Amino acid sequence: MQRPHYSNIPPAHSPPLHHPVPQHVSTVPQLRSPPPPAPQPQQSGYGYPQQQQGAGGGYMQPAFGGFMNDSTAQMGFQVGKSAVMAGQEYVEQNLNRYVSMSVLKHYFNVSNSYVVNKMYLVLFPWRHRPWSRQQRMSSNGQDGYFLPPREDINSPDMYIPVMAFVTYILVSTLIAGLRGAFRPELLGVTATAAFVVVFVEILALKLGCYLLSISNESQLLDLIAYSGYKFIGVIVTLVVSEVVNRGGGAGGWVGWTVFAYTFLANAFFLLRSLKYVLLPEDSPHSAGGAMHTVARSQRTRRTQFLFIYSYIVQLVFMWALSRQETGPKVIRA
Amino acid sequence: MFGLFDFGGLVHVSILLVNAIAILSEDRFLARIGWGNTPSDPGFGGVPDSQSIKAKMVNLIASVRTLMRIPLIGINTAVIIYELLLG
Repeated sequence: MQRPHYSNIPPAHSPPLHHPVPQHVSTVPQLRSPPPPAPQPQQSGYGYPQQQQGAGGGYMQPAFGGFMNDSTAQMGFQVGKSAVMAGQEYVEQNLNRYVSMSVLKHYFNVSNSYVVNKMYLVLFPWRHRPWSRQQRMSSNGQDGYFLPPREDINSPDMYIPVMAFVTYILVSTLIAGLRGAFRPELLGVTATAAFVVVFVEILALKLGCYLLSISNESQLLDLIAYSGYKFIGVIVTLVVSEVVNRGGGAGGWVGWTVFAYTFLANAFFLLRSLKYVLLPEDSPHSAGGAMHTVARSQRTRRTQFLFIYSYIVQLVFMWALSRQETGPKVIRA
Repeated sequence: MFGLFDFGGLVHVSILLVNAIAILSEDRFLARIGWGNTPSDPGFGGVPDSQSIKAKMVNLIASVRTLMRIPLIGINTAVIIYELLLG
């Protein structure tokens, strides 16, 4: 099981100060069977530059014959390894403080059938009947937790929004490239633009919730997930209009029709889904403390807010995401 | 796409808006138009109205003012230096 090829060190008569040729930098850790025996004068000559690098950075270097026998190099390697481990632990700790991994895992717990059905639902939501998320009362007396997306079609997930986001960036960059308007910054610019759109949208939603005193029981990731579903419609619009218009931009009959359709589908989908998030009508397990009766005017106001959010805000954002950069005009001679 | 979108402009606009909120004077302006931060009236029988949209907006403006006054000094200084250097 030993990798046999480390004995092809450059021959002994190369001067000891030649720069080390990086031979297959493997990522296999250095737990190999003992290296093949190398002749002594090579080893001392070779150990010198290796030792410098081994003690210096401790990065992974394929073990030549005489490398691991050098105690300084080994020590350097150990230092490097412990530094990497400490770094990983530090990163994990800090990451767990901001974003808890188990919560994220719940959002990525999807299955193939869920993904397909959900995408179909986003694009064609009109026939779907029960929109409420299913819950299961947990056993430790607390409030029930929601079923993961694998078992509940109505549960929001993060897999589809993340994939849709990345696909949106790639598709729009591809279309720009087909039109001849590609520049490498376009990738970053599109990504930043989409981030900004999501951020502003969540901000507006949070502001609206605060102003209307809607107690938001669902998490932030739910809202991000819901706002990520519109990328599916935007991608469909972009692809269809590109195919039909053949580079003429997202305008034209077909483009706007598809855009209107996906916009309406997305708005309806959001309306139904967010109804349970934003309009807690008679939640049997609301917090016992602040149970203020929701006045009728407040309810209508909240419904209006939901409508405005679902339709107008989404319209603005979807339009903004569907805009395309015009490439250099082709002048037909 | 948003290739023509100006993020620097967005940042500028937001900084200007927050500045505008921060420099509203509490007693000279807001109390005049009835948006002042009313202290709770002990003689009032019921709970002070903290649920309406107007009360929430007033609360939001007051909290933005108290919270952002100091960081805005730093942000404004940074923007001024940036604009001076880059013209």
